[in-house]
Amino acid sequence: MIFEKVRKTFGSTVAVHDLDLTIDEGEFVSLLGPSGCGKTTTLRMLAGLEEPSGGSIRIGDRVVNSVPPAQRDIAMVFQSYALYPHMTVAKNIAYPLKKRGVPEPERSERVRATARLLELETLLDRKPAQLSGGQQQRVALGRALVREPQVFLLDEPLSNLDARLRAHMRAELIELHRRIGRTMIYVTHDQLEAMTMSTRIAVMNAGVLQQFATPADIFHRPANVFVAGFIGSPVMSLLEGELTRSDEGDGTGPFRVRCGALEVALPAGLLDRSAAPGPISLGVRPEDVLLGSGAHTATVGVVERTGHESIVRLDARGTPLKARAPGDTPTATGETVRFSLRVERLHVFDAATGNRLNADAEDR
Amino acid sequence: MNASRARTIWSIVAWTIVLAVVFPLIWMIVTSVKPQAELFSIPPTLMPETITFEHYRRLLTETPFPRFFRNSMILAVTTTVVVVALGTLGAYSLVRFKYRGRETLATLVLFTYLMPSVVLVIPLYLMMAKLGLANTLASLVIAYTTFALPYALWLLRSFMTSIPVDLESAALVDGASRIGAFVDVILPQAFPGIVSTALFTFILCWNEYLFALVLVNSDSVRPLTAGTMNMLITSFNIDWSLLMAASVMMSLPLIVIFTFLQGTLTKGFGAGAVKG
Repeated sequence: MIFEKVRKTFGSTVAVHDLDLTIDEGEFVSLLGPSGCGKTTTLRMLAGLEEPSGGSIRIGDRVVNSVPPAQRDIAMVFQSYALYPHMTVAKNIAYPLKKRGVPEPERSERVRATARLLELETLLDRKPAQLSGGQQQRVALGRALVREPQVFLLDEPLSNLDARLRAHMRAELIELHRRIGRTMIYVTHDQLEAMTMSTRIAVMNAGVLQQFATPADIFHRPANVFVAGFIGSPVMSLLEGELTRSDEGDGTGPFRVRCGALEVALPAGLLDRSAAPGPISLGVRPEDVLLGSGAHTATVGVVERTGHESIVRLDARGTPLKARAPGDTPTATGETVRFSLRVERLHVFDAATGNRLNADAEDR
Repeated sequence: MNASRARTIWSIVAWTIVLAVVFPLIWMIVTSVKPQAELFSIPPTLMPETITFEHYRRLLTETPFPRFFRNSMILAVTTTVVVVALGTLGAYSLVRFKYRGRETLATLVLFTYLMPSVVLVIPLYLMMAKLGLANTLASLVIAYTTFALPYALWLLRSFMTSIPVDLESAALVDGASRIGAFVDVILPQAFPGIVSTALFTFILCWNEYLFALVLVNSDSVRPLTAGTMNMLITSFNIDWSLLMAASVMMSLPLIVIFTFLQGTLTKGFGAGAVKG
């Protein structure tokens, strides 16, 4: 599936801006971003429910820009599930088959098989209104599965479920993808869902693709400040600062970063060769702040304890930081602590463009 | 104790209102089966001493009443079919398709209600005459459509607005064409609304008097309202027995329809408030 310079505008607002995306067969790709970032519009264009204003969308070798949804080999699960209220569960699941002219004995056979897969057998005669949220969700999945399409599109399918059920369905979806091996495209604003299920994640913001990479890459090598500030829980601290370079005669000495009172020497090779002294943003993940000893001191602010860990807010002489500490850490608000940074894991971004300056930025 | 007394009072109030509303209907039925002699007896009898169906027999065999009835049926059914068909498609278009002037169009449609229908009688009559439709049932169908359709459009529009777009999108992705999605998903969802609209239109046509009086003037095409009035109420005499029998017969179709559609109707009137 290939998006080439795909644009979508509604009046004067640009919903999707020159999107280039190539999705391989059998992948589980998440479109991740805050509300209004264009991820659902992208999905709807792929489904054929919206026509792109520019560029081209290809499924296989076929440009599908204005092919009606019925003639694309896709199935979609909607956030609202969109079950047909006047039809029973069995009829809901059978509907796509009926519309494709699958004859009757085969139709009920496939409905039963799908129902078995999703444990819906006992509910086939119910109407959607008589089902719980989780059951409705499974019916919506069933309606998509029964046709065995090339591509599954899922638009925030878990967002209406409670937390426990969501965790359960996440595992189910991973298992389902493994078993049927079809391409799945999953829209979500929940990074946990994207990180746990996807083979690759496309992070979008304001209609622009920010980064398209594996979950590990997205986490460890965020392409820009937006991705850095969106992924992670809690997200990394982003500090305004200045990148300097000690002279050593030819200007090729080690880089240093100064953010307020916090000054750090960067290990050689951390930054890209093209990096130049100037204003930057320094990204520090909470797990890379080590409390207890080190060259830096800070005052402890609020400590959020979740049991298995504590998130400690620090004030390093005017510079705010967060640290991830064990759940039983004795640190208390108001104390002064020493800490060190894992300098080899720091993220440096150009303050003007927001782009990553680390040396690994290229192979993303 | 206080509560039970309050309930008693409420019951009395409620029953009084019901009686006040129902009394004319009961009186109508009672009068229609009283013999002529008992009609004006003083004191009036609440229950008839002898029951006779003579008036009904006369009405059905000696007057053009059956033809009026048939005319009214044709008129109401045709108009209802036309209005519901146009209204459903029109409302769907107003709700789902985006085109220039869509909202203006919807508002303009309502504007037709600002004009009292009396003002339209004469122009409509002249137009019908020009079109060669004067004194035909078709002229009444057209006239009724002009004032039932705008209302139908608005009623159905509000019903269709409450149908989630996702349902239709799902049908499209599942392999339906636009028309297919409309028939499979939109129509069943809008069904209570369509029934309400149909009923509204039917009643409107069934009870309409003014246009029926002006646009047609021969007994062969007169509907019930104008026909019955014309036949039974003259300057010299009102044939009460026949009039009441006719009134009972005129009410029958609506009573039958209401009885059958009550379930669907209440669903329709409640729609929009709660979405299932």
